[in-house]
Amino acid sequence: MTEKVGIVGIGHAKFGKRTDVTLRELAHEAVTPALVDAEINVKDIDASVIGVTSEEFAAQVSPAILVHDYVGIGNKPVFRVEAACATGSAAVRAGWSLVKSGLADVVLVVGVETMTHLGTPEATEVIARAGDTRWEYPFGATFPSYYALMAIAHMHKYGTTREQLSMVSVKNHMYGAMNPYAHIQKTITLEETMKSAMICHPLNLYDCCLISDGAAAVILASEEKAKRFSDTPVWLVGLGAASDTMMISERENLTELKATKTAAERAYRMAGITSSDVDVAVVHDCFTIAEIMAYEDLGFCKKGEGGKFIEEKQSYIGGKTPINVDGGLKSKGHPLGATGVSMTVEITKQLRDEAGKRQVKGAEIGLSHNVGEAGQYCFVHVYSR
Amino acid sequence: MILGYVSCLPETKLMAKFVEELKNERLMGTRCRKCGAKYLPPRAHCKCGSADVEWFEASRQGKILTYTSVGFPPQSMSKHKSYIVAIAELQDGSKLLAQLTGVSLKMLRVGMPVQVVSRPVSTDKIVYELKPMDVMEI
Ligand SMILES: [Zn+2]
Repeated sequence: MTEKVGIVGIGHAKFGKRTDVTLRELAHEAVTPALVDAEINVKDIDASVIGVTSEEFAAQVSPAILVHDYVGIGNKPVFRVEAACATGSAAVRAGWSLVKSGLADVVLVVGVETMTHLGTPEATEVIARAGDTRWEYPFGATFPSYYALMAIAHMHKYGTTREQLSMVSVKNHMYGAMNPYAHIQKTITLEETMKSAMICHPLNLYDCCLISDGAAAVILASEEKAKRFSDTPVWLVGLGAASDTMMISERENLTELKATKTAAERAYRMAGITSSDVDVAVVHDCFTIAEIMAYEDLGFCKKGEGGKFIEEKQSYIGGKTPINVDGGLKSKGHPLGATGVSMTVEITKQLRDEAGKRQVKGAEIGLSHNVGEAGQYCFVHVYSR
Repeated sequence: MILGYVSCLPETKLMAKFVEELKNERLMGTRCRKCGAKYLPPRAHCKCGSADVEWFEASRQGKILTYTSVGFPPQSMSKHKSYIVAIAELQDGSKLLAQLTGVSLKMLRVGMPVQVVSRPVSTDKIVYELKPMDVMEI
C-alpha cells in the first residue's frame, strides 16, 4: 500500500458562460491538459471519479459515464461523487481513497458543471432545492438568504461591517483579473461593490459568486507512480471532512460553520501542521461573508476578527495568509462540481511555483476549503511540496 | 392542506397532523419518549434512532435571532417579489425559520420579540409566519 498520494497532473477549462460546448466537451477541455501535464496516456488511468452536482444542471441522468467514456478511459471503473457545492473536493477525497487503498494506482478526478443554460431565477430555484425541502425551502429560503442570515448574525455579534464584506469582493476580483481561466476578469472598486443591487439583505450582487459553466481535472497517483511520472509531485497530506444539520435553524451558532472547524481540525491533525503553517489557501467564498467566516473557522484569525483580517489586507499576497489569489468563487466562478477540483488545481500550481503574477513566493504548504450548501458539507485538504 | 408557499413533497401522516393543528393556531412539535429530545419542526423519528415519539404544543413566542430580505426570489417564488425570512428562537428554546411580516426591514432588529401565527395562503396551502409581538403583549 502506498504511503503517500501525489498530484501528478492538473487541467482547467475556461470558466464562464460556455454554451459553445456540451458537458462532455467541457470536461475534455480540462482532462486533456491534465494528461499532457502528467505526461501520461489516457490508457495509464486505472479509474476515474467524476464530480457533477446536479442532473438538472447536467440535463443528463447519471453523467459520470458520459464524461469517462468521452475522454477515452475505456472499460475501467468509474463512479460519480456528489456533495452539493463541495462535490469537487469530495471527488478528490474519493480519488485519494482509491489510490491509498491500493484499488488503483492512477486516478483521474474530474469536476464539471453546466449551469448557465438555465436562467438565473431557474438556477436559483434548482440550488434552493438543495435546502431542506420540507421545512426551509417552502418558505422561499434561497442559498443567498442562508448566508445573509449568517451575515446579519455575524455583524450583530462581532460588528463586522458592510464595507468589510465588499473588501473581500474587491480582493477576489483583483486576483481574478490576473487569472485567464476566471469567468470575470476585471477589477472593481469598493464604491462599485457597495452600490450594487441588493440580492438578500445585507448581501448585494458583488457579495455573491457567479453562476458559471466550467470543468477542472487532476490526476492522482501512488507514491511510486508519482515519482516516476513527475519531477515535482505535490502531495495530498491532510484530508479532513465534516457535516452539519440539514436545517439552518437547527444550528447552535449562526456566526460560524461548525463543519469547517471540525474538518480543518481533522486535516491539520492528519498533516501534522497548524493553521499558521499554511502559506497559501483557497477558501469557499460563495458569498463574501463565507470568506470572512472561513478566515476565522480555519484558524487564520481569531473568531470575530475576520472583518479586520480583510480590512488589514492579511489575505492579500504579502499578508499573513494569502487567500483566494485565483479570484475565488467570486470572480473565477462557481460551476458547482468543478469548484473543488479547481481549488486543487490552483494550490498545486502555487506549490509548483507556476502561478505567475499571482504566485505566493516560496509557498510550501497549501490548503483548500470547500463547503457544500450552507455548511452541510465541508472538505479541507492540506497539500505539501 | 400543504405546508409552505411552495412544496414538492407528499403530505404524510405527520404533516397532516401538524397542519391540522396549525389551522387552530397550535404549533406542534414532537418529543422522543426514549431520550426526551424535542423537535420543532416535528420529526417522525428521533435522532437517537427511536420511532417512539409523542406530540407536544410548542411555545409561539420568542425573539428574532437573525433575518434577511430576499430581493431575488427563486423561480417558484417569483410572484412574491421581495420578502423577509427570519429565524426565531422560541421561549422553549426551539428555533424556527419562517417568513416575517408586519414589520419593515428598516425597523427590524436582532432580539425583537415575535410570535408565530398561522396563515392560510390559498385554499390548499397554509404557513406559519413570524409577526412582531403586539406592544401590549410584551
Ligand atoms: Zn430519542
